[in-house]
Amino acid sequence: MWASFDPSSFANALILGISIGSIWLIAALGLTIIYGTAGVINMAHGEFIMLGAYSSYMLQSYFGLPFLLCIPASFVIVGVIGLILERGLIRYLYKRPLDTLLATWGVSLVLMQGVRLIFGSDPKYIAVPEVFQSNIQLGFFNLSTFRVVVFFITIALVVGIWALFYRSRFGMQVRAVMQNNEMATSFGINSDRVYMMTFAIGAGLAGVAGSLFGVLNIVLPTMGSAYVVQAFLVVVVGGGSLVGSVAAGGGMGELQSIFAYFTNDTFARFLLFVMIVVFLRFRPQGLFAPAKARR
Amino acid sequence: MTNIYHSKPAQWAVYLVFFAALGVIPLFIDDAFLLNQFSTYGVYGMLALSLALCWGFGGILNLGQGIAFGLAAYGMAMTMQMQAQDPENDPIPPFMLNNSLDHLPWFWEPFWNTGLGIFLALLVPTLFYIAFGSIMFRSRVSGPFFAIMTLAMLSAWYTLILDIQPYTNGVNGITPPRALQVFGFEIDPYSSTSYWVVYTALLLCTIGAKLLTQSKFGLIVQAVRCDAERVRFLGYNVAFYETVIYTLSGLIASIAGCLWVVLVQYVSPAQMDVTFSISMVIWAGIGGRLSLIGAIIGAFLIQGAQSYLGDEFLNTWLLILGGFFIIVVRFLPKGLAGLLEIVLGRIGGSPRSKSPDAVADGKLVAAGE
Repeated sequence: MWASFDPSSFANALILGISIGSIWLIAALGLTIIYGTAGVINMAHGEFIMLGAYSSYMLQSYFGLPFLLCIPASFVIVGVIGLILERGLIRYLYKRPLDTLLATWGVSLVLMQGVRLIFGSDPKYIAVPEVFQSNIQLGFFNLSTFRVVVFFITIALVVGIWALFYRSRFGMQVRAVMQNNEMATSFGINSDRVYMMTFAIGAGLAGVAGSLFGVLNIVLPTMGSAYVVQAFLVVVVGGGSLVGSVAAGGGMGELQSIFAYFTNDTFARFLLFVMIVVFLRFRPQGLFAPAKARR
Repeated sequence: MTNIYHSKPAQWAVYLVFFAALGVIPLFIDDAFLLNQFSTYGVYGMLALSLALCWGFGGILNLGQGIAFGLAAYGMAMTMQMQAQDPENDPIPPFMLNNSLDHLPWFWEPFWNTGLGIFLALLVPTLFYIAFGSIMFRSRVSGPFFAIMTLAMLSAWYTLILDIQPYTNGVNGITPPRALQVFGFEIDPYSSTSYWVVYTALLLCTIGAKLLTQSKFGLIVQAVRCDAERVRFLGYNVAFYETVIYTLSGLIASIAGCLWVVLVQYVSPAQMDVTFSISMVIWAGIGGRLSLIGAIIGAFLIQGAQSYLGDEFLNTWLLILGGFFIIVVRFLPKGLAGLLEIVLGRIGGSPRSKSPDAVADGKLVAAGE
């Protein structure tokens, strides 16, 4: 089970770890925002990712949209779906976190089955420009170009979210509502609208993740469930804040890759999950918990 | 407001009628296949019961009940597999030979002994639940976070069992060739014997769980669900109560796992799939998580409907189930049993002072929410 140690392939594993981390992080970004602001555990997040992949597939194969335009389009489409869901269901459940979890699970069943009825169960593929299909080769280091693209998109999104939440008027309103909803409302912030917008943005981010994952893997109605557990763990370990998710995503991806180097992918995942349980024993609030309302 | 729904004698009467009705089923059914199917519903009923106990009464949403069910099912399948092997001539199960193992792995050895095998099938998941539960509850992980962690743990076990293919036969699972033999007596899955075994297990688990919820222990567990912090301030060790109720529900699921393999002679990682564990939550949720019998009936109804609506309807079935579940969560958090409670409350008599019995059975929720 223990492979012999080879420095250059170990270095490769470290770089792959960064790539895995960026994939988990981008899957978890939307969840982080939704959980961090509204405290909603959105079990349908995986299906939002799946919808993102299907919207990219649909736009590309039916309307011939270039792949790079499919990404923002998926953001809008899934964002709108998230908005409808928030207005129709989630907003009635803000005070019942466990029930939100269950209701969104029901939503995920409906979305998954709905997509299966419309598109069928057979795998779909998203084509990417020729440039992205090659591998980058630098000495011993070898990585597919598209994974590098995913990495940079992740960085861009993290910076964008940071700017939106910490450098804009809307972000200030969001943080005010997070800390003390009633107080923020009495200062004239429409907290209902803040929740609605953050949920839609979070869903849209899942859409972006989906359109990228659709290229990394095949597009299937069940693809969301492959990402949702990891995404949740990133949020839980990170503690629900943006910086926490970045740290948790990077750290977990790196550990996964290192464990996988010494054993194999599935056993590495088992090891990682057990480590997370032990970690939470000592730091149940996660790495960086967002500031609570001071009373 | 007196509501006959909260009357203890009435509740026990319902249990009596329910189990009497289940008891006469084998008298009317000759079809062995149908009887086997009803027995598996009994197993599903036990799973729903275990969730009602832990989630409804304890307030601990467990999305990973498949861990106990699956581990116990594997233990039982290993026991039954070894019964079909011969220590002298043929000590290694065929699938291991196919995976080029030349000796029996050490953790398979105890399963030569049927009694020890079944004991381990129940012990291993129980020990896991104690360890995992005490780690989580002592660090005060609760609510949705605990649910996510059970989900993660389930997925970890699933990948592990899938991964160690030479020892577990990976995705194909274990298919013991013979029915279970206990004390030289065969439990034929397609006979009324197996039905009675499941019936007895379900009966004992239900009565045990019902008595537990009416005991002082059950009262404290429900108090923890409503306000853990307050119970902690009253001097109770909250983590202990949470771990115990979580483990007991796991034990019921383990028994269900063992019986399930006896009935279907098969186990695969699919039993530890996320979807299956969440279906258990859906059964309990729709039936009524605050009513043990409601949860059991929920499992019967949903699994029954799924089997009888036919294959061409199966695609839309999941759609309907998901939609129905959303509606139940949104408008009827106590499930169909809650609906009954409301209806009986409307019919029932004039507003009076709260009966003390009511507290033991779900009335606390009204205060908690």
